[in-house]
Amino acid sequence: MFTRQNLIIYLVALLIILTLNFLLPRMMPGNPIIAIYGDVAVVQMSPELEAELTERFSLDQSLGRQFVSYWAALFRGDLGYSYAYNAPVAEVIFGRLPWTLLLAGLALVISTIMGILLGIESGWRRGKRLDGSLLTGMITLSGFPDFLLGILLLLLFAVNLQLLPLFGAESAYSDLGGFQRLADIGKHLLLPLVTLVLARVSGGYLLTRNAFIGELKEPYILLARAKGLKQETIRYRHAGRNSLLPVMTRTGVLLGLMVTGVLFVEIVFSYPGIGLATYEALTYRDYPLLQGLLLVSAICVLTANFIADLFYSKVDPRVSYAR
Amino acid sequence: MHVDPKREVVQSKGGRIGMALLLIVVFLAMFAPLLTTYEPLEQTVQIFAAPSWEHPLGTNHVGQDIWSQLVYAARTSLLVGLLVAVFSTVLSALIGTSAALIGGVYDRIVMRLVDAFIIIPIIILLILLSVYFNPNLSSGPLLIGIGVLIVIAVIGISLYAVRNLGWVGMLIVCPLIALVLLSRDIIQSTGGLIIILALLCWQGGARVVRAQALSLKENAYISAVQGFGASIRYIIRRHIIPELGPLLVADFIFCVRRAVFLQAGLAFIGIGDPNVVSWGSMISDARDWIFLDVWVWWLLPAGIALSVTIVAVTLIGYSLEPALDPRLRGEVSAQN
Amino acid sequence: MYRFKHVVLFMLSVLLLVFPACSGTSTEPSAVYSYVIADPTGDWGYPSPYLRYARGPGYIRSSFIFDTLVWRDKSQFTPALAKEWSYDEADNAYVFKLQQNARWHDGMPFTADDVAFTVEYLKEHPDPFVTLLGPSGISRAEVVDEHTVKLYLESEYAPFLYEVAGTMVILPEHIWKSVDNPMSFDSPEAVIGTGPYMLADYNKAQGTYLYKAFDDYYQGKPIADQIVFVKVSDEVVTSALIQGEVNAASILPEMVNAMKANDFAVISCPYGWCAKLTINHKIEPLNDKKFRQAMAYAIDRQKLVDVTQRGHAIPGSQGLLPPNNRWYNPDIEQYNYDPGKARQLLSELGYELSNNGYLSKDGEILELDLITQTAYGFKDVGQFIKDNLEDVGIKTNLIVMEGKSLDAKVEAWDFDISIYGHGGLYEPSILPKVITGQGFNSARYTSNDKLNRILEDQLHEMDPDTRLQLVQEAQALYAEDIPAITLYYPDWYWAHDGTVDIYYSDEGVASGIPIPLNKAAFLGK
Repeated sequence: MFTRQNLIIYLVALLIILTLNFLLPRMMPGNPIIAIYGDVAVVQMSPELEAELTERFSLDQSLGRQFVSYWAALFRGDLGYSYAYNAPVAEVIFGRLPWTLLLAGLALVISTIMGILLGIESGWRRGKRLDGSLLTGMITLSGFPDFLLGILLLLLFAVNLQLLPLFGAESAYSDLGGFQRLADIGKHLLLPLVTLVLARVSGGYLLTRNAFIGELKEPYILLARAKGLKQETIRYRHAGRNSLLPVMTRTGVLLGLMVTGVLFVEIVFSYPGIGLATYEALTYRDYPLLQGLLLVSAICVLTANFIADLFYSKVDPRVSYAR
Repeated sequence: MHVDPKREVVQSKGGRIGMALLLIVVFLAMFAPLLTTYEPLEQTVQIFAAPSWEHPLGTNHVGQDIWSQLVYAARTSLLVGLLVAVFSTVLSALIGTSAALIGGVYDRIVMRLVDAFIIIPIIILLILLSVYFNPNLSSGPLLIGIGVLIVIAVIGISLYAVRNLGWVGMLIVCPLIALVLLSRDIIQSTGGLIIILALLCWQGGARVVRAQALSLKENAYISAVQGFGASIRYIIRRHIIPELGPLLVADFIFCVRRAVFLQAGLAFIGIGDPNVVSWGSMISDARDWIFLDVWVWWLLPAGIALSVTIVAVTLIGYSLEPALDPRLRGEVSAQN
Repeated sequence: MYRFKHVVLFMLSVLLLVFPACSGTSTEPSAVYSYVIADPTGDWGYPSPYLRYARGPGYIRSSFIFDTLVWRDKSQFTPALAKEWSYDEADNAYVFKLQQNARWHDGMPFTADDVAFTVEYLKEHPDPFVTLLGPSGISRAEVVDEHTVKLYLESEYAPFLYEVAGTMVILPEHIWKSVDNPMSFDSPEAVIGTGPYMLADYNKAQGTYLYKAFDDYYQGKPIADQIVFVKVSDEVVTSALIQGEVNAASILPEMVNAMKANDFAVISCPYGWCAKLTINHKIEPLNDKKFRQAMAYAIDRQKLVDVTQRGHAIPGSQGLLPPNNRWYNPDIEQYNYDPGKARQLLSELGYELSNNGYLSKDGEILELDLITQTAYGFKDVGQFIKDNLEDVGIKTNLIVMEGKSLDAKVEAWDFDISIYGHGGLYEPSILPKVITGQGFNSARYTSNDKLNRILEDQLHEMDPDTRLQLVQEAQALYAEDIPAITLYYPDWYWAHDGTVDIYYSDEGVASGIPIPLNKAAFLGK
């Protein structure tokens, strides 16, 4: 699937989301500021803040004008005001985004690599014991939701064995510098990371294994064997590389969903990223924050998909040729 | 080429295990009242009771019988999973085939829509929707509408299953209908959720169905049949749908898996009717007490039940893959 | 190239390298001694007097920075910014002799002008914790000399020291005199006080606070160099305590024994917080006293405690004040569980049992919406009450929503019955606040003139015995009218590691906050 057409699709999707974001609260009966901020927030808002917000988003004017000022605000980078955090939504989101990207990015890379390696090794030995046990293991693993895995790991390593921290991304106010701080962050990352990797690896594994098995039947593999190439070479340089396409497609999709995919793990480990912010926005009924999060995730998804498209059009020449 | 899904599943070892596990879960769900002595929501003064004859899995923080909750929660997961898959599969089949057959602008619009939807981050959209709209269905006409849709969809799928899947089909259809009838109260409170999930799940299937329908369309014998004067509807009914069968079955199963996953996740973060027991909500409640030993007979059974169900469905789905991709046949290892 | 075992070895070695590098950190001693306190909510607002959340924990966080005239330790009033005080009966005024060497965190000296200024400022910009206007307020503040101030009261006010002198934080005149809009004043100057600690950092999103000791504090240097508040959820807080990540935290009753077994000190709170069933007594049928009484008879509060609180609470008294309170009236109607009586009262009101098990009158089924929130375990309480009410034939719909949304609905009287909680049940001054007061924590019940009068009178009754009589009569009247049903008083516990001897004050911090974070403990008092 290709870049220019996809770009249009992505923009359309973005437009749909933005318009939904705009329309949903305004379709609710009653005062728009209550619909946008929730009746809870308005009760707690000072009259000055309420007046300022009404003016900023033209809430007392017609729908058309509101739409215009909505877009104007977006271009300014103004995503609204989060009453639960008493700060602009953009500030809250971009303050937490790096932590999520760190966790999700590492998890994606590690689980993809592991999935590919294990899938290839497993497919190579199809029918034998290693393949059988890996396959069974992976399918069993795929049945566990990430939040369940997270709770079990938390229970075992943090609560009962007390080896690892129970919450957060780093120790608060610990005044650590340089390498020590890095180690502290690593310690806090370990359990959420392992959880995510365990939850995701089976997907990549199964896809790679299937594609690999398929590749092995291709005539060129027979030729490679006839040529007397080493097993490892056949495995990796030939069959392995050519079976990467499905996994990379999936990785591209996951890349986009990276930001929202860690929601449950962040909740279980109280990891201060976007996912936890979403959960908190939900419990506080902080509508602007939720809307901002939807917007940011949508943009991340689109950007990631776009990058993925560019990337594997380069990697697999068959794709561009087929067009 | 005709692929018989029934044969695929039954012949594969994984498929057999999956079906067996799923049947156990379905059995538990169906006969829940017979297998339990307490109501799932009944609060007693026996707090955190250890497992005993009276309470096979002990009690939770408000004295509710955990075994009873576990078994009734099976109904919720199965019902949501099955109904979402039913609606979603019907939608994908209809939209996919119509896009392929009608083609033109309609096709282009539909496919763009499908692509756009695949991109949207589902979880956060669901959260946002749940905040704005109460997932409870309390208005009469809406309820009747949903009921009618369910009846139509279930009948449609039952006919297909029975006709093409033989005794396996019966095995699937009877519990499905029984479950739907037994869990009418759950439908009322989760109906909205089911519909929204179905609306977010049909896209994947539609794409595949359209691809297959397109290739079928080009197939020579379709033109031949058309030459004999067959109408589009007849073609769809008699030729295309049977060919699409295995594809739809696979799609159905993966949709069940996804729906069960999503419902559990949503219940875990508290979205959904609090009066409906589900494994996700059990895990969420149990999480508040992980510092006590009670998690062993509360968190663990709920988690295992959920995982077993998902694994069972995955196994069944996975056993169908060789049918759809012939390259996966054969048991020979590549390693010499 | 690669073999499978190479892959495995690679992954293992990555883990092994990462792990030991990380494990050394937590045992390394820090240069500064830090006292870490866990809190499940985290953020309670910026700790300036106007931006802190109007709930107990918000006040506590500002109390480390700002001082009051008078303070309270375990059981009595102690000097704070005032080292001596006396009551001038003739003028109905309090004379406070202030500390000579108290300084603001920015180095400026503290004087009586600051006190007088604070009084005027608070009258103009009200603070939810202190009321200076009205019959319980201060009419004027007089600066006698640089370190003496005289506060003239509007009328005789019995709990003045408790409610005002012990709660009102003093603001620095030189900073606040140019602040017209205190609600948007969030710069570092807003947290300059005379208290033992200064705010070093506040992170809204993470819900963390960092306080550094103020070495020049007039009562001496505090014990802990730093105080840190971190956000930790209840289910992992006990592990955090045992792991040494946290020094003190509130714990669930189930963990008391385990904490004691791990050599932690466990302190229990004298009952100061209650859960209530708030009733919308403005609508039918809830506006009838008899109906409310029927509901009270229908709810088995002892069993409620045993089931939903797992036995860790005592049933509520319908006079609102708990049994251990010295103002408690033991001779009032408690509406002990009697479903038969409930049904009888309901039938006297004209309700009949229809064949679906619910009561109805004039063809309409009796139906109530019970809204509750997810916090404090109220969801289970709601379920229990629903079962009890339906048992006597009142159809009840249970709706669960988040706490603040619920607050908004109750505030707007958009509810039938709801479950609420509030603290402060120590000094009788709480009674008017939660019976006739207008906040959403209050029953907002003003239809009983006699009750209204007594509640107001007891505030101005200076003779303790007479006041006791009035307070007891108020409880009796309140129980008779029962505008809200007191459900239970929960057992609350905190565990700490003993490095600072924190304690519960007998009447709460300031105006009845039931949290054992009294800054006096950090001064070794």
